[in-house]
Amino acid sequence: MTHQEEKNIPISKGSETVRKTRGPGMWRLAWQRFKRNKTGVFGLVLVLIVLFFAMVGPWISPYEPNDQSAMLEFRSKSPPTWKNLLGTDRMGYDVASRVIYGARTALFVGLGSMVVAAVFGILMGGLSGFTGGMADELLMRFTEFFLVIPVFVVILVMVRIFGIVVVGTVLERIPHLNLIAIIVILGVFGWPPIARIARAEFLRLKEMEFVEAARCLGAGTLNIIFRHILPNALPSLVVIIALGVGQSILLEAMISFLGFGDPKSVSWGQLLYFNYEHLKISPWASIAPGMAIFITVLGFNLLADGMTDAFNPRLKE
Amino acid sequence: MAHHNQQSQALLDVSGLKIHFFTGAGVVQAIDGVEFGLESGETLGLVGESGSGKTISSLALLKLVPRPGKILGGHIRFENDDLIDKSEAEMIRIRGKRIAMIFQNPAFSLNPIYTIGQQLGEIMMWHEKINRGEANDRVTEMLNLVGITDPASRLKQFPHELSGGMKQRVCIARALLCKPLLVLADEPTTNLDVTIQAQILELLSDLKTRFNMAMILVTHDLGVVANMADRITVMYAGRICETATAERIFNNPQHPYTRALLSTIPRVDKSYTNIQSKRLTVVPGRIPNLIHPPTGCRFHPRCVEANGECSRTQPELKTVEEGHVVSCLKR
Amino acid sequence: MGILRFIIRRLIFMVFLILGVTIMIFFMINAIGDPIDILMAERPGITQEVIDNIKSYYHLDRSLTEQYTLWLWNVVQLDFGTSIIYNQPVGSMLVNWGWETVKIQVPSILISLLLAILFASIASTRQYTKTDFGVMGTALLGRSMPGFFTGILLILIFSYWLGIFPSYGAYSTRSPLMGSLLLDSLWHMTLPVMMLAYFNTATLTLLIRSSMVDVLRQDFIIAARASGLPNRRVVYGHALKNAIIPALTYLAILFGLMLGTAPVTETVFTWPGLGFLYITAIQQLDYPVIMGITLIITLMLVLANLFTDIAYVFIDPRIRLE
Repeated sequence: MTHQEEKNIPISKGSETVRKTRGPGMWRLAWQRFKRNKTGVFGLVLVLIVLFFAMVGPWISPYEPNDQSAMLEFRSKSPPTWKNLLGTDRMGYDVASRVIYGARTALFVGLGSMVVAAVFGILMGGLSGFTGGMADELLMRFTEFFLVIPVFVVILVMVRIFGIVVVGTVLERIPHLNLIAIIVILGVFGWPPIARIARAEFLRLKEMEFVEAARCLGAGTLNIIFRHILPNALPSLVVIIALGVGQSILLEAMISFLGFGDPKSVSWGQLLYFNYEHLKISPWASIAPGMAIFITVLGFNLLADGMTDAFNPRLKE
Repeated sequence: MAHHNQQSQALLDVSGLKIHFFTGAGVVQAIDGVEFGLESGETLGLVGESGSGKTISSLALLKLVPRPGKILGGHIRFENDDLIDKSEAEMIRIRGKRIAMIFQNPAFSLNPIYTIGQQLGEIMMWHEKINRGEANDRVTEMLNLVGITDPASRLKQFPHELSGGMKQRVCIARALLCKPLLVLADEPTTNLDVTIQAQILELLSDLKTRFNMAMILVTHDLGVVANMADRITVMYAGRICETATAERIFNNPQHPYTRALLSTIPRVDKSYTNIQSKRLTVVPGRIPNLIHPPTGCRFHPRCVEANGECSRTQPELKTVEEGHVVSCLKR
Repeated sequence: MGILRFIIRRLIFMVFLILGVTIMIFFMINAIGDPIDILMAERPGITQEVIDNIKSYYHLDRSLTEQYTLWLWNVVQLDFGTSIIYNQPVGSMLVNWGWETVKIQVPSILISLLLAILFASIASTRQYTKTDFGVMGTALLGRSMPGFFTGILLILIFSYWLGIFPSYGAYSTRSPLMGSLLLDSLWHMTLPVMMLAYFNTATLTLLIRSSMVDVLRQDFIIAARASGLPNRRVVYGHALKNAIIPALTYLAILFGLMLGTAPVTETVFTWPGLGFLYITAIQQLDYPVIMGITLIITLMLVLANLFTDIAYVFIDPRIRLE
């Protein structure tokens, strides 16, 4: 988005300086404050660890994710050994390898669903806050509806129904179809918090002096939204999106844990689903993916906390 | 020092008070050797810019310095007892009962979820060991005294149902419930409408005479204390600049800071129509960072009279005339 | 008078909400085509009797809108239809299984609220001490801990290693604990309640602590201290009540979260509640049960919201309804 912004500069210099003063400086200051926040940095480190495993997973993973050779050697449900650092599960998979590959799926789910949610949420909330009036009232009621209903329960039905609908259609040939469906559904149900923040920020910012200034200098509506309001609304949005990534990963894990996940995907929730019944015999196969989910969710939550403090220094002392 | 001679009669005598705040960024030397005092029935104006330590000083009299602040030294003699030596259990018998405080912002200094009757009654019952009914009667009486109409029905109202001026009257009533010997009024009119400010000041003045209380009026506005205070203490950056009778402060100020403050008061009589003074003058410069306070006299970076000596030697309080002390190397 | 109008307005919103959710689920289920066909395809062994039952309850020959209206009309008369799998009236199933869900959720939320108030007041009055960091750290971890992972750890520790609490079910299959049904029930409830309470306590503690810290800094608290009130009265009488208000709104959200994720909780502990029933119902496409549970969960959630809204009005006098 920044690249496009740089290309079309129909706005006069005056507003440019106004924007700049709140632009990059704001992020640099926030980063300086963030660095001093120990829990925030801890969260960032956790997120980076997950990111690291997601990126280099195939090169450091001791086995292929679908390697069930341990089963053939009668070593399924083996406790951690030098050969299988985190043990093997009941299907003969190497737990460590599956957990490493799971990081990729988890981030794919978290980021993917948040892209969907952010597009919806910012569009809805932004429109609502920017236009106000009747449209605002309607959109807010709609958002409230989604905030109050038991979303997880509805998602479960949707995932299951989708699984039935696609049977025998062309769609079935798309790889990881079920996972993609889950991502889209999580995104579709994940937009309301983002919309609420976007609305509040748009409401606040459209009255600000620098926006007035830009308007007086003849900037168009789209221009004001993309060059003046959105960049300034980003800090709050980034925080809520970071929280959302963690929540989506957790939700996918819960969906998979209940057996509604994508059986073909290597995800932590799937791992739990396959091994939970054998918790007593092979606890490592459940603890490892559980721990991975915990660390990831914790990372994103702490990161979001740290960012909140960094962006709003007034809140803390 | 002048007022030390009258120590036997003094109601309050603060000396060598030292308060530091231990923050993450460093130790803030907020109060550094402050002294002031007053006699029964007297009004002392404690004047300074925000950040000069006047509010902290008044909270210190109740030993309520907020964390991470700590009283490191000094004495607070009140009725010949040193409050510094008092335990928390002893202090709660003094707060509200013998020394009471009125706060700056009436909108925030009443608990929003209790009625006026509940919160004022609680204090009355706690200090006077009386029951709810008696407490209500005494509260009603006091609300009447502070000029609240229909006090009995106000007891059942919540703070948000009252106007700003009304709330401040309730706060004054709260402070006076147990007829304290000393009232600390921290900027009692700053957050009120101009029309109400005068009413509140008049009320305070009346009640003070009526109950024969002493009062410390904390303010940044010399105009407020002009008519109210018997004596005035001027503070700057956690230290005392000058103490004298109100009359002498206005007519014969000695400390350069006091003079600077006086010049910021808008005057209708003098040259207000003059184009150059259309902008109200302010004392140039800012209150210094008290983590690394200026050496010597803390005012020297902003002082028009300062020389090299001022940045090296810390001035002592010295008496220039009976009852008029000033801390400036040039006097 | 305001309070009544307020409640009526909330009730109207509730009705729309319940209609919205059930319509959504109803049309979603029907979007996959004729339920009978799918049932036959997925469960070949299905009996004619069951098919007739569904047909007569759902009036499958009518249009979708009519079908939904008829379902709604039946529900209003407290007739929820018959479960396809269990061949029992859904209404009584909802009561029986619902009770098990309520049995672990209500105690856990009450325990959490009490513990959170306790921890938050301890932590906030000892801000930046080791106690505070300890409470905060545990709470920060608890807030990010996935429920099922907490459950797994609890089972491993308390059932498998220490062997003091059962890992599944709501009742002993053979003889109850010490011959008492009540004790047996409490014994089985312990771990699920602990699992739910950990997350809720953590979330509420963080929330109440942060608002306590804010409130304790407010002028009216300093004013209360300056009036000579002892610390205990200031903290518990003046600060805490103000600090709890935001937590109350959150209570409904937490309750909703708990109800919504009941399928997970109850799967972890094989707990015979609505969530567990829901999973089986979705897997087996037991339409009457899916519709019934969705309705009940939404209703409970909406009632919890209404309850907190009303509690809010009574606790915070600043809220004016009109």
